Amino acid sequence: MSNKTAFVFPAFITEFTEKELDFLSENSIDFTNYLQRASSAINLDLPEFSYSSNNYRNNELKSQLLAYLFSCAFFDIAEKKGVVPHFVVGYSMGIYASLYAAKSISLEEGVKLIHKAYTIVHELTKTEIYGMGAIIGLPIKDIEYIITESKLDADIININNEHSFVIAGKKKEVNLVLEKAKEEGAMSTVELTVNTPYHSKYLSKFTDSLKQYIDTIPISNAEIPIISTYDQREIVKVSEIKSELIFNLTCKINWYKTVQKLLKKGVSDIYECGAGKDLKKISRFIKGDYRMNLIYKILKEPKKDSFSI
Amino acid sequence: MAQITDKTRDEVKEVVLDFFAEECEMELDEISEDSNIISDLDGDSLMFLELIEIFKKKFNLNIELKTIGKYSIKNPVQTIGELIDMQLLIIEHENNILDM
Repeated sequence: MSNKTAFVFPAFITEFTEKELDFLSENSIDFTNYLQRASSAINLDLPEFSYSSNNYRNNELKSQLLAYLFSCAFFDIAEKKGVVPHFVVGYSMGIYASLYAAKSISLEEGVKLIHKAYTIVHELTKTEIYGMGAIIGLPIKDIEYIITESKLDADIININNEHSFVIAGKKKEVNLVLEKAKEEGAMSTVELTVNTPYHSKYLSKFTDSLKQYIDTIPISNAEIPIISTYDQREIVKVSEIKSELIFNLTCKINWYKTVQKLLKKGVSDIYECGAGKDLKKISRFIKGDYRMNLIYKILKEPKKDSFSI
Repeated sequence: MAQITDKTRDEVKEVVLDFFAEECEMELDEISEDSNIISDLDGDSLMFLELIEIFKKKFNLNIELKTIGKYSIKNPVQTIGELIDMQLLIIEHENNILDM
């Protein structure tokens, strides 16, 4: 073990720990300011956030932006305290926060990227309804069998851990896979609250328009290496970052392998840098000699225990 | 079929309570058999799976996860007490739990 650290950035927030706003405010971070900056960048109303309101919960774009802004705010505290990880990784749409942490993009450029990517791929949902789902506790071969045997238009697009998989496809067929998985003995199945089949073949037709847009965004080399969730390579250069942005939307990802790669690089401590604790939860059943904690843990430690590259 | 004794129940209860206390960063006396796994302890299906793996190793059980999945659809548990009872049934009946 060589005691390296990684920050991982969530794509979504299933449930808040409800410590987020207090923690930001204790560290002199005004989250409203982040919402206002994002709002101005894309000219979109982003109302005040509270744990109980539904302003963000049922809106795919706004919930992505919220997760991104929380991650950026937490990273800003880390940076202010001199806590810098050796690697960063974004889970799914968490890629934008990882780019912010690596100083490849500004907060506003990240907001614009999320907004534009969403707008481009959202075209797909005008002609067909798509969806995503998670299956927990059924072997991957059983899920593959369900899909092929019933000739369903859905794919496994992410392996979270040994027992948790994400599927995407046409909504009706995704729901059929979930139903059959439950009948086959899945411990639980969850329909995700998205209408876009992220990381799936359905988005590959938007590759050119995404490329064109990404070329207009100022992107810098990463100051902290980013690990790809697509093929687990280490990314620093602008050209690689641009490719990864496309792969991340249009190709399958593998979270399990990505964490394994971090461990091979000598990472022993992984911190979830963002709101909620979704990534900590899915780290169960990812084998290895490492600790996974929420970002509060390292940020609350005295400065002498902090680390930097 | 394993014989379930008072000692087995005590052992299972201890493992379950220790597991949730550690996972939820709570004191042991804050968790009881009446605690609701979801609303009181923020439990999830991966926690449940991990607990099953612990018991599979501890009692050398021959049971497939999907068998437990099928059983738990028909017999969902909500409290720690119900979870302990389900674990005891799993230990007792292993893969035959669905025949009950």
